[in-house]
Amino acid sequence: MHQMQTVAVLYLDEDDRKLWEATLDGVPGLLSITVDRNLTVSLDRLRRVQSTLRLVILSARLYPEEHPGLAERVREACPGIELLLISSENSSPPLKPLFTDDIRHLAINSEKGQPNREHLPSVVSMLVDRRPWEIGSCLKQGTKVHSYQLDSSEDKESLIGALEAVLTGEGEELDMLRQKGALLADELLENAMYNAPRGSYGDRLFKKGEKREMLPHERIVFSFGFDGETLALKLTDNWGSLEPDVVLEYLARNQEDGSSADDAGGRGLFIIWRFLDQFHVNVQPGQQTAVGGHLQLCSRLDPESPRGFHITKHKKEIAA
Amino acid sequence: MNRLSLASNEVPAQHDYFAFEGTIDAQSEGLLKELPSKVRHPLVRFDFTRAGRINSMGIALLLRCFKDIGGKAEIRLEGLTPMHTMLFKMTGIFLLASPVQGSDRKEGAA
Repeated sequence: MHQMQTVAVLYLDEDDRKLWEATLDGVPGLLSITVDRNLTVSLDRLRRVQSTLRLVILSARLYPEEHPGLAERVREACPGIELLLISSENSSPPLKPLFTDDIRHLAINSEKGQPNREHLPSVVSMLVDRRPWEIGSCLKQGTKVHSYQLDSSEDKESLIGALEAVLTGEGEELDMLRQKGALLADELLENAMYNAPRGSYGDRLFKKGEKREMLPHERIVFSFGFDGETLALKLTDNWGSLEPDVVLEYLARNQEDGSSADDAGGRGLFIIWRFLDQFHVNVQPGQQTAVGGHLQLCSRLDPESPRGFHITKHKKEIAA
Repeated sequence: MNRLSLASNEVPAQHDYFAFEGTIDAQSEGLLKELPSKVRHPLVRFDFTRAGRINSMGIALLLRCFKDIGGKAEIRLEGLTPMHTMLFKMTGIFLLASPVQGSDRKEGAA
């Protein structure tokens, strides 16, 4: 039976395709296209299946350096299509072109044979189904997810303490994971308490460092879980004030500058991105922002290397 | 929570020495703002051995502080944990101040 092609992937050449073959194994309805210096023919192939396509994956060997205009041409061939860039760890792309071309999904695959760096088929499935990331998706089945709703800024340290308490044990790796987890929790909570609340003109309602109580209708929930290998964290606020474009701009600006500007915006989000193995942002404008991701206990990732991200905008589904 | 505090050299020395203790975040603004005015020598050493978590606001304040000092003194950072080092590398702190390895450290005054 002919399977409907919902995902297309564009490779530079046959070597490039072979590199990703095993990683993308298991993606249903996958159409592989090897460009081999003939982009026009490749785009024609895309155009022929565009009515069923939900996602186009671009290899970083093709874009942005080899074909800087590729994202635009793919969007011409398949209007409204979601794009995912895949890259190996040692050749991760500059972020500025991604920001310019509004590419909000980057998956980086380790070449060191690192297990579950990012399980690409499940990410593809999430994007094809237009599902937001869920904290349990990267944890072993049955792992307890702890959730706390904030009442006041004074809760921050006790929540960080609760997170540290689930990362029990000794050893350098666990100690490092505790420190990373504490910093991530700090940044996520600060972001939700001081950056998310905005007035009607987009102005910040609270200044960092000031003590504050949550507003009557404000809901900030911090969730985390640890399955012995993976720590997953998620912070949800009901402001929905974070703009996906702004997230990408912050990451690109802090990444490109190696920024020593003391007023560089979005440094907190940049730190969250770089300390997580995988970074997820989901915004339902005016309703909810969820920021989170996961990191491994035995992460062999180079701390200097960029991480993958998925920045999505969803309209909240109306409960039946 | 362990708020930031600061110890400094109180005996005559050829350099200034400051030791951080506790978390460096938005609450540290006052301490870090007035710190550049306390630098008297062409070399200043900051000891992070007892510093705790440093968040993005703490990084912003350190950057501002080191920039203010930068014109009048060389800045050396000591006692950094691997976590501090990672954070400082990715946020540009090392563009303004140099890390000192354990064996190169001088005895802190006071």
